[in-house]
Amino acid sequence: MSLLMVGCNHRAAGVEVREQLAFNGSQVGEALDRWQQTLPETELVLISTCNRVELYAATAGGEALGPDELAAAMLDYHGVARDSVNGQLTKLADRAVIAHLFHVAASLDSMVVGEPQILAQVKEAYQAAHELGTAGPVLHELFQTALHAARRVHNETDLHRHRVSIPSVAIADFASRVFERFDDKRVLVLGAGEMAEETLRYLKDAGARNIHVVNRNEQRGRELAEAWAGAYHPWNDLWEQLIAADLVIGATAAAEPVVGAAQFAERVAPRRHQRPLFMLDLAVPRDFDPAVGEEIGVYLYSLDDLQVACERNRRERAKALPAAEKILENEVDRYLAAAHHRAAAPVITGLRRNMEAPKQAELTRLFNKLPDLDDAARTEIERFADRLVNKLLHPPMESLRDASRDGPPHGLLDALRRLFHLDD
Amino acid sequence: MQSGVHIYCFAASYAAALAIEALGAWRHLPWRRRGVVAATGAGIVAHTWYLGERVAATPGAALVSPHDWYLSAAWLLAAITLAATFYYPSRSLGVFLLPAVLALIAASLPASADPVVSNSATRFWSRLHAGLLMLGSLAVLIGFLSGLMYLLQSWRLKRKAAPLSEGFRLPSLEWLEKVNGRALPAAAVLVGLGFLTGVIVRWSQADARGGVPWTDPVVLSLGVWVLWLLVAEGFRLLYPAARGQKVAYLSVATFALLVLTLAAFTLTTSLHGEPAAADVTPGDAAGLLHPTEGDPR
Repeated sequence: MSLLMVGCNHRAAGVEVREQLAFNGSQVGEALDRWQQTLPETELVLISTCNRVELYAATAGGEALGPDELAAAMLDYHGVARDSVNGQLTKLADRAVIAHLFHVAASLDSMVVGEPQILAQVKEAYQAAHELGTAGPVLHELFQTALHAARRVHNETDLHRHRVSIPSVAIADFASRVFERFDDKRVLVLGAGEMAEETLRYLKDAGARNIHVVNRNEQRGRELAEAWAGAYHPWNDLWEQLIAADLVIGATAAAEPVVGAAQFAERVAPRRHQRPLFMLDLAVPRDFDPAVGEEIGVYLYSLDDLQVACERNRRERAKALPAAEKILENEVDRYLAAAHHRAAAPVITGLRRNMEAPKQAELTRLFNKLPDLDDAARTEIERFADRLVNKLLHPPMESLRDASRDGPPHGLLDALRRLFHLDD
Repeated sequence: MQSGVHIYCFAASYAAALAIEALGAWRHLPWRRRGVVAATGAGIVAHTWYLGERVAATPGAALVSPHDWYLSAAWLLAAITLAATFYYPSRSLGVFLLPAVLALIAASLPASADPVVSNSATRFWSRLHAGLLMLGSLAVLIGFLSGLMYLLQSWRLKRKAAPLSEGFRLPSLEWLEKVNGRALPAAAVLVGLGFLTGVIVRWSQADARGGVPWTDPVVLSLGVWVLWLLVAEGFRLLYPAARGQKVAYLSVATFALLVLTLAAFTLTTSLHGEPAAADVTPGDAAGLLHPTEGDPR
């Protein structure tokens, strides 16, 4: 069995190379289909995301494929010259392929370590190859073990539990502690900054539906409201909208705070009756006077506050890395031992067959000599013979299993073949 | 008890569940939920067994002593804790509920185990009285704990503090406010009805000559408690906009009155039984109710 991986990722290749080699959904199917024709003995899975394009190949026996051959197949599909990607393609073989795939699936090789999407992307890539028939038993075992290892990292470490982007921290670590659900909450966006859009994406994922935009520039405000199926309100409605809102995102380009503490205390607070208001100030300079956060029921967070939380989460993730690495190392060893042991399967089958034939012959001879034996005695004798064969086979099997932990047990397999005439 | 199931058996199970919850708050334990469910479940089984034996020991007046009242309340709260662990697995509700279960069990130790009712005419009303007050007390307890969690969550959010740990997640303010807002009116109704049924019990007793003894420590504290609950609920109804922190503070104050009432119930010589440790002949402290059996513990 041989394993290969050729591809580019955010660590070794620039975005220009990744863009040239990227595959969209339909191209993945088309490329796998084409390679299946040209490389019929090879199992293939293609992973293509924003940060990586990686082609995994496996051959169960026969003539193994070379890394250059695999790289050529990938480059030729896009018509990319080899010179243009010099030094930016990653080529791995055997154990390095297994360790790399396990790191990718567990999100230890991601740009944002611990981000959860990659596991689903690996699963989808394998699923696509399986449906097209390009993933055979070797890659099936490899990808299933990779997914299992990733799930272990997810369940047994804190790696995925700490969010590290500003919008995700704002919603998951703070807003969700104020509100139980977001589908019945009124979200107000002041301004039309990029960060506001990013936060709206998270809020939409969390279920937010009732979105309102207040912006000085009507056209830009209407565009943003339309993009998020929300409603636009002119700037004059700011205070009325603040009274009605549950969650406010400040993302204007104003040079001074647009919501002052005195104005809030006078025009908004008395009419809210301490109803919780979650305020997210994503503008620089700030949109909300920090003193607004002192009002009862107001929970105000600035970029700096969220940055502190992000940094803390990054440190927590870093702490979980050694435990995650240990799990992956353990899983790689287990996978290799199992793979090596599987390589010994024909010898094990031969050994068992070699023992079964004489056993059966001896039993027949014995039963012919003792025709008066009743059924119970015959069964007992057959069981005795089975136990004897199993006990005789146990030591060589155990030796094979032990030897498989350190690599393919070629020497031992050869010895067994010669000792028991298995080739015959 | 003959089976060997002692109060300490289920108290130890609940304490183990609390320890697992607390440990899970400190470090990631993949088996935290299973451990809490197993320990709480084991506690409930032993607890049920113990109460069952108490019923078998006093078939004529089952679970009508202050001791049994506390243990029944603890059993109900333990069942609520177990249900909460299933319904809200990611929230650390056990950290707050289990100490309350243990506190109720601890309170049962000095409480009298003598049944406080023997007269069959008043038995129904007495049981209803005890049951309503038990449910009312639990409502207050739940309101108090949710109020406490609300104030803690709000305090941490105001200080921009991240969740204490991934294993220690308090419910959202919105959820806590909802629970808190429902617990207070439920407590007002249940405790109010409990008080009224207590008055009915008193009036229906043949040998009651002096009417309701308002100066009895339990009656007095319960009366104050009912009044407070009515005022608090009236405030909530008159000012529907009053929310969050205000209602949380009301719940904390209501709990303080509950503790006062229970202290009177447990530690004083009153018409609701004697303290277990007191060297007093059971019954007839107020000359009205007649305990029927001794302490079986």
